Amino acid sequence: MESEVVVAHELKAPLSLVRQLALSLDFEEDMKGVHEVGRQIVATSERALQQVNDLTRIARLEDAMFEMEPVNPRVVCDEVVDELWRLFEFNRRELRIEYRNKRRLVVANPQLLHSVVYNFCLNAMNYGGEELPSEISVIDRANKIRIAVRDYGPAVPTKIWREIKDGFVNKPVATPMRPGSSGLGLYIAAKFANYMGSDFGLIRHRDGTSFYIDLPVSGQLSFL
Amino acid sequence: MIYVIEDDRGWESYYRRLLKRDDVKYFHDGVAAIAEMDGEVPDLVILDVLLTGPTGFAVLNEMRSYPELMNVPAAIVSSVSLGDNIAEKYGVVATFDKGKMQPSELLELVGRYA
Repeated sequence: MESEVVVAHELKAPLSLVRQLALSLDFEEDMKGVHEVGRQIVATSERALQQVNDLTRIARLEDAMFEMEPVNPRVVCDEVVDELWRLFEFNRRELRIEYRNKRRLVVANPQLLHSVVYNFCLNAMNYGGEELPSEISVIDRANKIRIAVRDYGPAVPTKIWREIKDGFVNKPVATPMRPGSSGLGLYIAAKFANYMGSDFGLIRHRDGTSFYIDLPVSGQLSFL
Repeated sequence: MIYVIEDDRGWESYYRRLLKRDDVKYFHDGVAAIAEMDGEVPDLVILDVLLTGPTGFAVLNEMRSYPELMNVPAAIVSSVSLGDNIAEKYGVVATFDKGKMQPSELLELVGRYA
């Protein structure tokens, strides 16, 4: 039951904001303001839809609906940035991306990998420090490629850190340190990473945290 | 001066657009807000319950422990379901459910106290 409560609360937050923003349109004084609120409604709705889609995908994991294939990690990361930059902007955050890899492909499911990176970024947005960016990095590591998302926020609670290090994220867990992020995103990312057989973990920095996923390099040449 | 304590930047953005006032300070956690109150007594505090760090209830308890902040009007705006006795227990002038409130209610509250 605790998990359902966490999920319900996580979904209620963007829905409440969308409703409130829609109601506030009556108080906008010009079309510029109306358009701005409209864009925030769209960005917030898309975030909620992504969460619903992810939860639906989790339910379908057991049916082995997601095939593995060669995927260009740069394309996935670019898509995520394209979808999230406006939400970051409304949250007064900046999302950066840095490629430190050759143009190689990884073996993954594109939908699930997209969700992993997306949820890492949302986590960074919620946890990131004031006026500090979140950074996506794509890094070569021998026969693997690491996609990491770094934030400059407060340290991840030890309990969550241990669960992730032990590969044991079986339910979303609300943490008093970061109620804005209930742990649902990390739970989703862990589920999908586990399904793809990839390594999932985090690095604790003195001034923040990096969540990462390590994916095997595909033998197929890059399309680019 | 109005203090808004809200750690969700999307909601902060909403408040900024709706209130359109210069005399509003925004805080993302209760610790920073309480520290600011050390040198300034706000006219109204609007706060969420689930905050990064101490909860909104902890902030209210802290406020009520100082004589100069004891009677500062405070309103809770939260997604958390609140019990009937919350207003009385924490001395808040209003509680709003983020999923049900009307912008006009918030504006009316602000107009009444600040």
